[in-house]
Amino acid sequence: MTATNPRIVTVRQNILKANDHTAAENRAAFAAAGVRAINLASSPGAGKTALLERTLRDLAGQVSMAVAVGDLATENDAARLRQHGAQAEQIVTGTVCHLDAAMVQGVLPRFDLAGLEVLFLENVGNLVCPSSYDLGEAARAVLISTTEGEDKPLKYPTMFNTADVVVITKMDLADAVGFDRDLCRENIDRARPGVPVIELSSRSGAGLDAWFAFVRGQGA
Amino acid sequence: MHEASIALSLIDVASEVLREHGAARASALTVRVGAWSSVVPEALTAAFPACAAGTGLEGARLSVVTVPGVGDCPAHGRVTLDVTRGLRCPSCGAPTPTLVQGDELELDEIELAEPDLEDV
Repeated sequence: MTATNPRIVTVRQNILKANDHTAAENRAAFAAAGVRAINLASSPGAGKTALLERTLRDLAGQVSMAVAVGDLATENDAARLRQHGAQAEQIVTGTVCHLDAAMVQGVLPRFDLAGLEVLFLENVGNLVCPSSYDLGEAARAVLISTTEGEDKPLKYPTMFNTADVVVITKMDLADAVGFDRDLCRENIDRARPGVPVIELSSRSGAGLDAWFAFVRGQGA
Repeated sequence: MHEASIALSLIDVASEVLREHGAARASALTVRVGAWSSVVPEALTAAFPACAAGTGLEGARLSVVTVPGVGDCPAHGRVTLDVTRGLRCPSCGAPTPTLVQGDELELDEIELAEPDLEDV
């Protein structure tokens, strides 16, 4: 007879504690270098890269910025961002649908953090998985475009619930697509009561001042 | 879908517990998944066996306990939240900005499989 003698052990530990530990190291590195790290998350095509392109262009010479950008397979986004004169490093995540703290830590040696004021962490386009992974950022911006449908915040409550600011992009298309601004803002507030909301268009430039203030850490 | 990544992290945490207790294998484990954790229990259960292959968790039974969201309503106290309605009191609609519970993603218990000493 090979009977076993089961023993129950109470653990009560966070499954992502290793990620959280690495995120804390990243946060300490950013704080020591005086860098404001901003994690950008959205669904694919909401305009993260377009907003960063515009930001790099408009704040060039005023704020020292760089980008670490996650993508499943390509280097396209980093190439787009480098055209604007800022350092952009691609994190190719392979089959993984989100950035985690270790991926960010792995790319940090490529940056001169001491010479930076803002480091953007452009997440993989995905409104589910990135919400679970703290990267060590100072602030998390979640983008939703006017072309996506106003109920996204309720479909992906965790992502919006972890946002420090919600950015509604492509406002120049709002009328053309029949975007219901009030409903969208109501749904955002249901997912994250009281969260600041910025409406902007990376193309026209409308609303960018509020975004730039957030980038600089001056509130949304 | 990031449940495979979550399953791998779960196995790391569980393997550490096995080492701490000098156990080679676990026969079962229970995880608590909050309704606001963005983890789908079914997907986690589906991903787990393949991720556990070749570890001390291979063949272990995974139970997922879903933890409902609970908020604090100024008028109604502790209220159970519905994910699709957001952080709003189900009775009066008042915002309940802070999740009292419901964002958990934790390994709760492990059942260690140890050889019965009388049989060794």
